[in-house]
Amino acid sequence: MIRLLRILGLLVLIAVVAVGVLFWIGRDRGATPAASVDLANLGPDQRQQMLERGRWVARAADCAACHTDPDGGSDLAGGLPMVTPMGSVYGTNITPSTEHGIGDYSADDLYRAVAQGVAPDGRNLYPAMPYPSYHRITRADSDALWLWLMQQRPVDKPNRPDDLMFPFNIRPAIAVWNALFRPEAEPFDPQGLENPQGEYLVDVLGHCGECHTPRNLAYALTDDHLAGEVIEGAYAPDLRPDALARRGWSGEDLVAFLHRGLSPQGVMTFRMFPVLSHSTSHLSEDDLSAIADYLADGTQLPGPQQRPPGGATAMDGHALYLGLCAGCHGDNGQGQPHSSVPLDTNTTAMYRDPLNLIRIIAEGIPERDLAQGERMQAMPAFGGMLSDQQMAELVNYLRERWGGRPGDVTTGAVTSVLERNESH
Amino acid sequence: MAGRINFTASINGQQVGPLDLPEDLMMVELLQEYLNLTGTRLSCGQGVCSACAIIVDDPEGGSRTVPACITGVAWLNGKTVRTIEGIAGRDEQGDPVPSPVQQAFLDHFSFQCSYCTPGFVNAATVLVERLERAPIPVEDVEDAILKALDPHICRCTGYVRYYQAVRDVILSTPGLTIGTVAAAERPA
Repeated sequence: MIRLLRILGLLVLIAVVAVGVLFWIGRDRGATPAASVDLANLGPDQRQQMLERGRWVARAADCAACHTDPDGGSDLAGGLPMVTPMGSVYGTNITPSTEHGIGDYSADDLYRAVAQGVAPDGRNLYPAMPYPSYHRITRADSDALWLWLMQQRPVDKPNRPDDLMFPFNIRPAIAVWNALFRPEAEPFDPQGLENPQGEYLVDVLGHCGECHTPRNLAYALTDDHLAGEVIEGAYAPDLRPDALARRGWSGEDLVAFLHRGLSPQGVMTFRMFPVLSHSTSHLSEDDLSAIADYLADGTQLPGPQQRPPGGATAMDGHALYLGLCAGCHGDNGQGQPHSSVPLDTNTTAMYRDPLNLIRIIAEGIPERDLAQGERMQAMPAFGGMLSDQQMAELVNYLRERWGGRPGDVTTGAVTSVLERNESH
Repeated sequence: MAGRINFTASINGQQVGPLDLPEDLMMVELLQEYLNLTGTRLSCGQGVCSACAIIVDDPEGGSRTVPACITGVAWLNGKTVRTIEGIAGRDEQGDPVPSPVQQAFLDHFSFQCSYCTPGFVNAATVLVERLERAPIPVEDVEDAILKALDPHICRCTGYVRYYQAVRDVILSTPGLTIGTVAAAERPA
């Protein structure tokens, strides 16, 4: 018995030491590169150039996606919830308010927060702040962003406390997570890269992988870069070249989708809609082409494919489609410009996971001003009109007819998706 | 080339069919072109303006309106439907008597051109019937009216008179609400 206790004690001691070491490693925020310019002595032209670059960085990095004020009035005053399995965290106020925002931040402070996930008081930021992606931001871009942020209108809105369950509400524990999962902060080096602009936009500023890359049990990004992940109740699809080709994307359509929010493959929905309005719709065609090229990674993307008809489609699903969907989407899924997306080239039915398809049919999509004058009318919610069995029949019909997927979604799977997402 | 379906339904209490119809026929076309029920108005044709709202009665799930312009006969096959022609009652001589909702719209001068009116009548009728089954607190009435009529577009009267008429019907019909309305708020 005593021997057992000794062994147990030793194991506890080893665990404590290991956690202590990890904590110590994680507390080390790494080197901070020197400021790119003397920010106290900027000439007017240089200042103007940096402000323009800063605005570009803020848009490309989509700060507003999380830091916007859901009550309106400011894209940077915070308050938007991010729902995770551990609870909710709320976007913070990053206006230059000295009381509630980041008005006291130096340019060094901003770099450490953005690239290393550490606030000026040494407090660890939750990795909902995508510093694992931003860690390669260049110091020059961080400085330009700082200059631009400090030019914005301060909003004295207090931050909302996070709502995380134990033990995830112990902030210092993030140091241990950082030791294990935070990449080293290495400023982006374009030397030798084939498409540096595309890589910088997708992997660093755009932080696409934060939603599109699968996470492990510790909620850290895995090595399956951009392989698709369910996040905040929706499936963020696989963006790897083969998957894009299979779903009938072309480079041109990717650019259109990011520029206007719409392409034959679909319309921006769920958390991609704010990405369009805050970020991608403001990027130049060169930037968007670089993103599309980087995602294609040399693979020839063929564009929409005429799919051979799938297996025998269920007649029940066919009647539901004609009765409820065809009035807008057309008998053959051709859609109507600016009001209903075509379904014959839409990618939503092509995902293995029927989550998005079920939620969109059940919840509908609000009317939206997309970008560059493009808009779509509302899609009604059909959740109240369809039993779970009918929903399964309709989903299976869409998967078989246009998704190239088997009609294997069960009524139980539909019930489970709808129950899980009642709160969204 | 669309297939055909064998369609039957109860429309305004009358059994319709069996009819051999194109399977992709939209309900508004069946009503107007096949059944001569022309009161249902086709406007946007995209399910957005609700001028063509008709009532579908589901014995289990209750009644709801659906836009007849984008709802196909394939969905309504076998169902029980009411259109604007089925809302008014009849007196002893067989002459039409406006329903309380229709009378309130007349009393409040709720419409001018009337193109949207059948849709508003049907939506308000469904709301009143829902409150008969499940009354709501008086203070929630305006929100309930807003929610029920919000999808309906009117270009003439600015909605207020429709809303006031429905509020009048709900507050003056016993059993639709719980609690009492303050004297100042009582409709004239």
